[in-house]
Amino acid sequence: MNGTISRLAFQSLFGQKRWWVLVALPLLLMGLCLLVQVLTSGDAAATSFEPVIVVFGLGLVLPLVSLLVTTGVLGPEIDDGSIVYLLSKPVSRYVVALSKLVVAVAVTVVLGAGSLFVAGLILDPSQLGQALAVAVGAAVAGTAYCAAFVMLSAINRHGMISGLIYVLVFEGLLASWLSGLRFVSVSAFGRRIAEGLDDSLNLVAGNLPVTYAWLASLVVIVAGCYVAGRRLSRFQLRGDE
Amino acid sequence: MALPTEAPRPGGVIHDIGYRPYTGPRLDTDAAARSLFVTGLLNAYGIGRSGRAKGLPMTLLALMVVPAAIMVAVMVTLRLTEPLLNYGTYPVTLMLIIVIFVAAQAPVLFSRDLRSGAISLYLARPLSSTAYALVRWASLFVAILLFIALPVIVLYVGALTAEADIAEQSRDFFAAVVGIVLLSAVLATLSGLVASHTRRRGLAVGVTIIALLVSTGVVTAVQAITAEAGNETAGLLAGLFSPFSLVDGVQVELLGGQSSFQVPPDTTGWGLLYLAVSLALVAGGLWLLVRYYRKQAGR
Repeated sequence: MNGTISRLAFQSLFGQKRWWVLVALPLLLMGLCLLVQVLTSGDAAATSFEPVIVVFGLGLVLPLVSLLVTTGVLGPEIDDGSIVYLLSKPVSRYVVALSKLVVAVAVTVVLGAGSLFVAGLILDPSQLGQALAVAVGAAVAGTAYCAAFVMLSAINRHGMISGLIYVLVFEGLLASWLSGLRFVSVSAFGRRIAEGLDDSLNLVAGNLPVTYAWLASLVVIVAGCYVAGRRLSRFQLRGDE
Repeated sequence: MALPTEAPRPGGVIHDIGYRPYTGPRLDTDAAARSLFVTGLLNAYGIGRSGRAKGLPMTLLALMVVPAAIMVAVMVTLRLTEPLLNYGTYPVTLMLIIVIFVAAQAPVLFSRDLRSGAISLYLARPLSSTAYALVRWASLFVAILLFIALPVIVLYVGALTAEADIAEQSRDFFAAVVGIVLLSAVLATLSGLVASHTRRRGLAVGVTIIALLVSTGVVTAVQAITAEAGNETAGLLAGLFSPFSLVDGVQVELLGGQSSFQVPPDTTGWGLLYLAVSLALVAGGLWLLVRYYRKQAGR
């Protein structure tokens, strides 16, 4: 861990009006919950929990926030080539990658899992346990998403686009038809972990073993850190297109 | 060899080392705008750029047209006289492909010049920054229009060759085309604004896709909830917040098309409001775009 690199990564995420791109989606989620609460005059928890929290919150807001944060932490420096100045410093590249990933994970957990926690409370203030379980599941899934997106951007050059394809096409479109994909879907891990923590939750995760969900998330996270460091240690400058 | 063949010009000549001046026709600013428009339109499909740049738009165009072609084939072989899918609902059905095309190709026209600094070379020419912004927008608009309209035209031609009722088909088709023109204008404005302000291709693509898909998702969810709660006004108001439901509303109420959303506007007043909001969106977006490029010229 290197404090300076983390601080710079944090500044590049939130400096120069860029913060509103990150904050927009969590605000939208909480606003949607408030709107639902107003429109259905209070008895929304039962019917709108699945469309709002599961489909929109866990299915869209969390991965997209994580994607924006992860690409924002690593992408721009590689894009404009200024990463060479960072890499020329006598700091291990694994430490560079880890310092940046830690910032990405922290921001994802605060914005993604935090907004889901608040959204759960808005929908049903009496169910503190449920909201906490969803938040823990979202925090683990958000961390795994960050790692997964770092891996995707290490494999090809269009990290943002391949991340979007993973979230929208792979998890959103295909996973609803091919239920076997739950074994490789980060979103399903997060939902299963939340279900494991609170028995009254039903987050449509299928019959995935809870231990498998925890282990698989851990594997994705470790692999993400390793791949990110390896990518930086083998970094070569290339042109824009 | 000193042959002063030309009479000395009134301004006086500092050097004349014997090069031939350009004596061909000098085109005006309109010609520059026209050629910028055509280049931009071709570039949006990757024509005139590297082979790799052609891959994505051409693949997406194929993905867009193939379902229409299959439907026409089915229609002809089964001798149906009704198209399988309404012309107006086709764009909403293939929304994901349209969104990817718009998000991926808007940065081609709006980010590259700003990012590489080539914009200052364009703006040093007689074409004004306002005209530059508008011409770029027009290129993107026509590119999106062709992209969405082509499969609908295929469906229409297929329906006509299968001897469907010409009057009825033509009415549906022209209603859908008006909707598509409006949808293209709205999408071109929004994606152009995002692409020119973010400048980075990856970020612009991400923000555009997220904004378009998330807004449509939210509208669908809110309309489902309000329909259940019996609050139709809130559902109609929600429809104003996504380009697809907005144009769908105009197309349904004012042009008599078929809706793909749960709560389409059902009175002319709501239809006019939908139309006014979409026109205001295009006009306001264009104003912001022009203002942004004027600022670039001032730098």
